[in-house]
Amino acid sequence: MKNAFVTALLVLMAIPLLIGVTALPPHGSADAPMHTHVSARYVERGEEEAGAANLVTGVLLNYRSLDTVGEVTVIFTALVAVLGVLISFPAAPKPPDAAGAAGTARATDHAAPTQPQVSPVVGFVVRLLAPFIALFTIYVIVHGHVSPGGGFQGGAILGGLFIALTTVLGENRTRCLLPRRGAPWMRGAALLAFVAAGVIGAVLTGYFLGYPAETNHLATELMLLGIEIGIGLGGAAIFATIFLQMEEE
Amino acid sequence: MSMAFDILLLVLLMVTALVVARTKDLLAAAIIFSAYSLVMSLLWQHRDAPDVAMTEAAVGAGITTVLFLVAIGRTARREK
Repeated sequence: MKNAFVTALLVLMAIPLLIGVTALPPHGSADAPMHTHVSARYVERGEEEAGAANLVTGVLLNYRSLDTVGEVTVIFTALVAVLGVLISFPAAPKPPDAAGAAGTARATDHAAPTQPQVSPVVGFVVRLLAPFIALFTIYVIVHGHVSPGGGFQGGAILGGLFIALTTVLGENRTRCLLPRRGAPWMRGAALLAFVAAGVIGAVLTGYFLGYPAETNHLATELMLLGIEIGIGLGGAAIFATIFLQMEEE
Repeated sequence: MSMAFDILLLVLLMVTALVVARTKDLLAAAIIFSAYSLVMSLLWQHRDAPDVAMTEAAVGAGITTVLFLVAIGRTARREK
């Protein structure tokens, strides 16, 4: 009875959705509403106005830069929230008979860092690929305003590389990549880079986050590059921090 | 050819999504969800959205899966 009701409800919902799909303009059609409003301007003048050959980056970091600042703030807030939850609700305590043994095991863990046990295949592949992944990350971040990619993608790949290395080499050997003193700055790097670029833009053009794309191409490129690097480092540091915090205990 | 590839990807997408919803073993579900993300990223690439495809592959198939695995390690492996 309940299942029949749910199925009927789903079918009822599917009918208007399917009718809506048939009314969509064909894929790639030039006179679809989404191609006739602002995006025409982006495609025609995006490169010279935004200073980025990759139009996606042009829209993200120039035309819609305030939206991206908001997005970066959301990611940072998510980090704060996740850390808050993880710190206020630590992992469930071990069963009482194992508690004493676990305590001493942890103490020796700190004294003599042991390598984690991973399959030799995983260890070999991660060690072999790590430098290439790192190089690819730099390319994705630094080349993001010209080719597909950018800070968000590069940051995610860099965070993944950090997690893979931590899994294979152990936390003690990858800690130096996220130093205690620099880590807070790295976690906030995306927001800091955006604010810095915004202030520089305000000095150069008179508007917060304004880019002098048509008058000073070099400054625009450097501002875009700074924001991309900030987002990349910040994103990677946030992923790495969440992973390390979840792994603790 | 392109149409057939699209249909193949969409069918794979639906199958993986359904399997994720039905699986009781959370570890298997996390891995299949990563496969779902990979198919989705191919679909984005096929739709001429390489930026989104890269994000999907790196965040959806990579980081999210790792975080799911760590979360399963901290909790229970089977859905009640």
